[in-house]
Amino acid sequence: MFTGISIFRLFKPIRKVNLRNILMFMAILGPGIITANVDNDAGGITTYSLAGAHYGYSLLWLMLPTTVALVVIQEMCARMGAVTGKGLSDLIRESFGVKVTFYVMIALFLTNMGNSVSEFAGIAASLEIFGISKYLSVPVSALLVWLLIVKGSYKVVEKVFLVACMVYIAYPIAAFMATPHWNTILTATITPSFKADSGYLITMIGVVGTTIAPWMQFYQQSAVVEKGITIDQYSFSRLDVVVGCIMAIVVAFFIVVACAATIFSQGLQIETAADAALALKPLVGKHASALFAFGLFNASLFAACILPLSTAYYICEGMGWESGIDKDFRRAPQFFWLFTVIIISSALIILFPNAPLITIMFVSQVVNGAVLPFVLVFMLFLINDRRLMGPYTNGPTFNIVAWLTVIIMIVLTAIMTIDMMVPGIFGRMFGS
Amino acid sequence: MSATALVNELYLSEVLDRTVINDQGHEVGRLWDMIMIPGEVFPEVSHLLVKDRKQLYSIPWQGITLFTPFVISASAPLGEIIKGKYTPSEADILVKRDILDKQIVDVDGAKVVRVNDLKLGNRKDLLCIFTVDIGFRGLLRRLGHERLWEQAARLLRKEIRHQEISWEYVQPLETNASRLTLTMARDQMADMHPADIASIISQLSHTHIQTVLTSLDTETAGEAIHELEPELRSRVMSQLDSEQASDILEEMAPDEAADVLGDLPEEKAKELLELMDEEEAEDIQELLEHEEDSAGGLMNSEYIAIGEALTVDEALAEIRRLAPETETVYYAYVIDREERLQGVVSLKELLLNEGNMPIAEIMTTNLKTVDVEATPEDILEIVAKYNLVAVPVLDEEEKMAGIVTVDDILELFLPFALRRRRYHH
Repeated sequence: MFTGISIFRLFKPIRKVNLRNILMFMAILGPGIITANVDNDAGGITTYSLAGAHYGYSLLWLMLPTTVALVVIQEMCARMGAVTGKGLSDLIRESFGVKVTFYVMIALFLTNMGNSVSEFAGIAASLEIFGISKYLSVPVSALLVWLLIVKGSYKVVEKVFLVACMVYIAYPIAAFMATPHWNTILTATITPSFKADSGYLITMIGVVGTTIAPWMQFYQQSAVVEKGITIDQYSFSRLDVVVGCIMAIVVAFFIVVACAATIFSQGLQIETAADAALALKPLVGKHASALFAFGLFNASLFAACILPLSTAYYICEGMGWESGIDKDFRRAPQFFWLFTVIIISSALIILFPNAPLITIMFVSQVVNGAVLPFVLVFMLFLINDRRLMGPYTNGPTFNIVAWLTVIIMIVLTAIMTIDMMVPGIFGRMFGS
Repeated sequence: MSATALVNELYLSEVLDRTVINDQGHEVGRLWDMIMIPGEVFPEVSHLLVKDRKQLYSIPWQGITLFTPFVISASAPLGEIIKGKYTPSEADILVKRDILDKQIVDVDGAKVVRVNDLKLGNRKDLLCIFTVDIGFRGLLRRLGHERLWEQAARLLRKEIRHQEISWEYVQPLETNASRLTLTMARDQMADMHPADIASIISQLSHTHIQTVLTSLDTETAGEAIHELEPELRSRVMSQLDSEQASDILEEMAPDEAADVLGDLPEEKAKELLELMDEEEAEDIQELLEHEEDSAGGLMNSEYIAIGEALTVDEALAEIRRLAPETETVYYAYVIDREERLQGVVSLKELLLNEGNMPIAEIMTTNLKTVDVEATPEDILEIVAKYNLVAVPVLDEEEKMAGIVTVDDILELFLPFALRRRRYHH
């Protein structure tokens, strides 16, 4: 019987540190770390930068509960992948039928389309800092991404991505260069605070919504399946998930710190992650600024490769269409058209003069947040299905954490939607 | 039994969730699922499962008087047949739960597809599953959009294709449908080319891979495993039960078994070798000791060896005796007592000569050989230059160690792109 979170269970594999176990871990390593790092994409970096720049350290406390929720949710996916050997959309189709799958896939297509748009926006913005016009950077990147998918093999892509994960070290460096007050940061991290201001609320939802996005569950589970991880090797896979999630949150943490220590304390106003990179220049020096911008470019390109491809995979998996990058337009038309359409239309939207990029990025995060509860509810039904999971169903702790996340996300999204329709209503209600 | 009024053919999606009434026209409940049992040709429906509020009832097919997309009615009064309360059992195969939306192997098309819908039909007054809908039309029907799209398609003067496969060419993958697997298309899978089976396997989840492999005989399973890409191959081998894995290895040609073992972690390979027949394990061990990309690593240690003193007839008899265990029988190598290679005769030469002709008179001497260290390029050059199907490999003591066949070499030199196409991703 699986009994939920327990430090001993999570770290069981490293209690016996020997060569065999280390090698085993290295072999399994990947799915969790990659998923969690793609999570820090253009939308994520933007949200974290804004959180730091507008509200200083006051949102840092959110990082701890978010990490717990993220670990629990991603662990559930990895476990389902290892036990059933099937992807999440496979399982949804097999357990809930084609109708439900169809609407889930449409929702996933739309959110991931929105996310892809924001990745290309990130590419455009970060390279503009280095003086490259978006009319050059976006078409070239789109073509590169498309070619990588069509011509490259998944194994190569995964290795490139593991290396790309290293680039995230740019953010901690940028944060340290800003020489913040670590005591204040520590206090802010462990003391929850709250502001009854609708901007604060929305940023809060943004942070949670961008950290736990619907595509991540699909990606995590198929990556585990793709690696052929079975329940015997599962304890290593779980460690991979935990390490990945912690890495992702640590990066997010340092982005908030870097922006809070500089932009917020100077009282500057910024609107995008690229603004944040530019704002760092006079405050901490041009290297920090360049590092920040390079980090944004890397993250955006990285996610622009993964999102369209993985979206095409899940949709084909769920609908029963042929998929695989080793096929071609004739043999797997839906698969190839899906990612081609996502890449081309995302790039085109960015190239549109005066495209409302901030609104696009923001709306895509909202839609992410709105779709997430549905995905989580399906996951919870699946993982508690004894016919499917046998002895590996959720324990009470996991169920409580996951259901809490679902409820909190639904409430937060509802609040945000109402706030968008009636701006400032919550500010007035809380009397600020 | 009552003659059932049954529409000739209908789709499962058209009747699921329809109201079921009794003779008096009272609602019994809604059609929830059907229990399926193996039939003569096609699987038959034995019971309908009807759900009324939270309660499930099973009605035997004989109790059904009308079965159409518009009306489903049961003959017996509510009290009798209908109140057969149903408790879900793992042994039953339920059409919706176990077949609909699941993956199946389309044996005819050698691929894995998803069941979008099922076509049911009347066969000798029994309700049978005829075909499996795997196409776009089936998807639309399930979503309730078939009419709409049909009209749209008519406007464009196009047709939405029907894509259905007969149940005869279908093999369910779920383990809980195993009883069906026994009676249905299992034999057909064994008749498929191992490369096709391999491409099916590469599309499956690990639990399904085991189901498929166990349903095949060890020889076919071995050939299919050898056709897999190295990475997936070692994954599949590690996931198999060790006993089963070693049985499969024993059935493989030693060079193929060595290929497979070479990819596995050392410990696992050792364990499997120990479980194998001693003689075969030794053969494989020897092959494993050579560099992978040398003649020694590529060669097959099974070949036809005959003595010099034989006549053509005796040689042919010897080949007939050895052939079942040997992959390449095109050449018979003539070997002396010290296992030194004296010459070679091709099967063609044997067939064209008189039966009493001594082998020594017709064999080719001075033949082309390579040593165990030879590189693939060296081998390719010899094979291509002298148009050989196989080339003998000599060890350090000039003794015959094995042969490298042209297909082993060809596989190495297949253009990179062509090989990569076989990757799942």
